[in-house]
Amino acid sequence: MLNQNHPDDERLSALASDDVDATTDTGLMAHVSSCGQCTQLVSELGMLRVALGDLPDLRPSRPLQLLPPVEADRGVDRLGGWARRFFAPVVAAGAALALVGTVGTAAPVLDQMASGGADGGGDSAAIQEFAEPAASAASEEPATLDVGAESFGSDGDVAASPLTGQKSPEARDNGAPADQENARGEALAPSTPDERSPWPMVLFTGVALMVAAAGLRWILVPRAG
Amino acid sequence: MADALEKTPAHRTQPLPDEAAVIARATSGERTAFAQLMEHYQSACYGLAWRLLRDPDQAADATQDAFIHAYKAIGSYRGGLFRSWLLRITANASYDIMRRAQRRPSSPLPDPDEGAPELPDLGAVNPLAEATKSELYRQLEVALRRLPEDQRTAVVLCDVYGMDYNEVASMTQSALGTVKSRIHRGRLRLRELLADHRELFNG
Repeated sequence: MLNQNHPDDERLSALASDDVDATTDTGLMAHVSSCGQCTQLVSELGMLRVALGDLPDLRPSRPLQLLPPVEADRGVDRLGGWARRFFAPVVAAGAALALVGTVGTAAPVLDQMASGGADGGGDSAAIQEFAEPAASAASEEPATLDVGAESFGSDGDVAASPLTGQKSPEARDNGAPADQENARGEALAPSTPDERSPWPMVLFTGVALMVAAAGLRWILVPRAG
Repeated sequence: MADALEKTPAHRTQPLPDEAAVIARATSGERTAFAQLMEHYQSACYGLAWRLLRDPDQAADATQDAFIHAYKAIGSYRGGLFRSWLLRITANASYDIMRRAQRRPSSPLPDPDEGAPELPDLGAVNPLAEATKSELYRQLEVALRRLPEDQRTAVVLCDVYGMDYNEVASMTQSALGTVKSRIHRGRLRLRELLADHRELFNG
């Protein structure tokens, strides 16, 4: 009997979905057209396909977030990223500047205190010396020179400090008697070098950098909660 | 094979009336336009995810993941039916969750008879016909849940959502012949499962 050897069910399923390899299979097509059982199967599988393709959409089981939350503030987030990335280097640079500024500002004072302690009354003697009238100084030139040299020696240390930057080459070359008066003048004006010192500004810049970095990070970087 | 996703079945979400304009605004970065599209198609995406995963929570997670992927990829959308584009993203997101669950099986498989979703109201123009159709859909959903996972995935992607064999093979990382075989066996198994409800197909 012609219809006893039915095609494989998967071939019939392929025919039901109009697969090209099934629809161009003349043997398969000839069998199905003459076999009621296979025609019925192909028809049912075709209806099943239609019904599956017609299944409705389904309501979500819970409300869904339509937009990703991570993209909420993209601009601020980008700035926050920059703030996060540069926070540590800027604070480190600020701290370094502040440290250098502190050392630079404090060094002359410490040097003065240290040299004052070592020389005993040397400085006060020099100050007392220069406080005397010019006429008296002129009449006692050698003694003044001795005290001045002593005074210069003690202040020469300060002037030679690399942190103060106070004319140290001049001070070292200051062996000529003609320059000793100038050296005395410098020794007697301790506030003048401090006023011109860049170190307080360096200290201030360092602290300002750290404060600015911390502030920007606090404003721009989102916090938990 | 023609992409059957290009035609939207009657009971599925239809395209927005001004969809091209909304998509253009969304691709240019307008968030409200993107949200409008996702709100419109969330039932379509969730339906696909639920049919693949059989779990409401996982389906919602997959849909949510799909929205995030779509948001990132909306700039690369190059025309075609937006619904199809979004459903492919959802299918991939669902399949990712499925693979993760297979690697770490922690919960028992859901009972096929439980957790069936609430089907939408199909309207009441012809109450009897609609009631028959609703029952057919319910029986189909139950039968789909009884299929082995590989067959169900292939049938859902191919017959329910109209993806072609090559697309299903690529998504499931399977050989083309394997995919065809799974689909045909899945259909035949569904036919057996629905043998007592044949009258519904003629309703």
